[in-house]
Amino acid sequence: MLNFNTPISDTKEYSEIKISEVEPILKINLRGKNRDFITKIGKELSIITPVEPNTSSSNEKLNLLWLSPDEWFLYSNTKIDVKVGRVLEDKLFNEISKLKIGSVTNVSDHWIMINLKGAKIFELLSAGCPFNFNNFKNSKGAVTQTLINHTDVIIHNKNIDDLNLFVRRSFSEHLWSWMNDSARFI
Amino acid sequence: MFLINCPYCGERDQSEFSAGGEAHIERPKQPTELSDDQWAEYLFMRKNIKGVQFERWNHAHGCRKWFNMVRDTSNDKIHAVYKMGEKPPIK
Repeated sequence: MLNFNTPISDTKEYSEIKISEVEPILKINLRGKNRDFITKIGKELSIITPVEPNTSSSNEKLNLLWLSPDEWFLYSNTKIDVKVGRVLEDKLFNEISKLKIGSVTNVSDHWIMINLKGAKIFELLSAGCPFNFNNFKNSKGAVTQTLINHTDVIIHNKNIDDLNLFVRRSFSEHLWSWMNDSARFI
Repeated sequence: MFLINCPYCGERDQSEFSAGGEAHIERPKQPTELSDDQWAEYLFMRKNIKGVQFERWNHAHGCRKWFNMVRDTSNDKIHAVYKMGEKPPIK
């Protein structure tokens, strides 16, 4: 049984940094290797499947992130009702998983989305992350998977000084505490 | 900082990767015909030399893909990185 109750449910503001947890967001993991799969998800979601590494594509409702050559991460732009999310999941499941073109997994409950806004968000992330954000912060739509304070994260650079960060539910409170603690010193 | 050029994601810090041991070890075609010593040789024995070594690596905290690397174990200099199934670009 999916549990959409959020472990954080909070918003904090510091000097030029605003961190807020945004839930419930629909998140679906898509895996497949062949060309049929790539065209199928593009057609079903009305979105161009990003095949270039570390990129994403979006429409007004959804974002599709490249995770690896055979894996993509789909998430909704806005908070979404669980039942509405289930409709999209079922549609993808019937068109992809059932036809054995690829796999569709609802990971809404697995990841927590944290939104970071402000001019100093990359200073905050760099305090505990080995990733070089120099090019990343200027490229809208860029995606990376890396470690922040030893925790696995997916980062989507949605706009200039506005990014969405995904962290596993069990690590989310720890990362949230770390971010709040680090933001006080920036 | 020790950087590794993942063939899928690009240049990343070594802390995102995990080493998977020696590369290009072929599984014997007829394991039942091998003696215990030959099987142990295949299963456990690794070169672990000081110098240029062919290794498997996994981008564990990134794209989670496996790839091969030619690395000098004495100074961590990476000579080449190539995808699984590809032939080593260096002999």
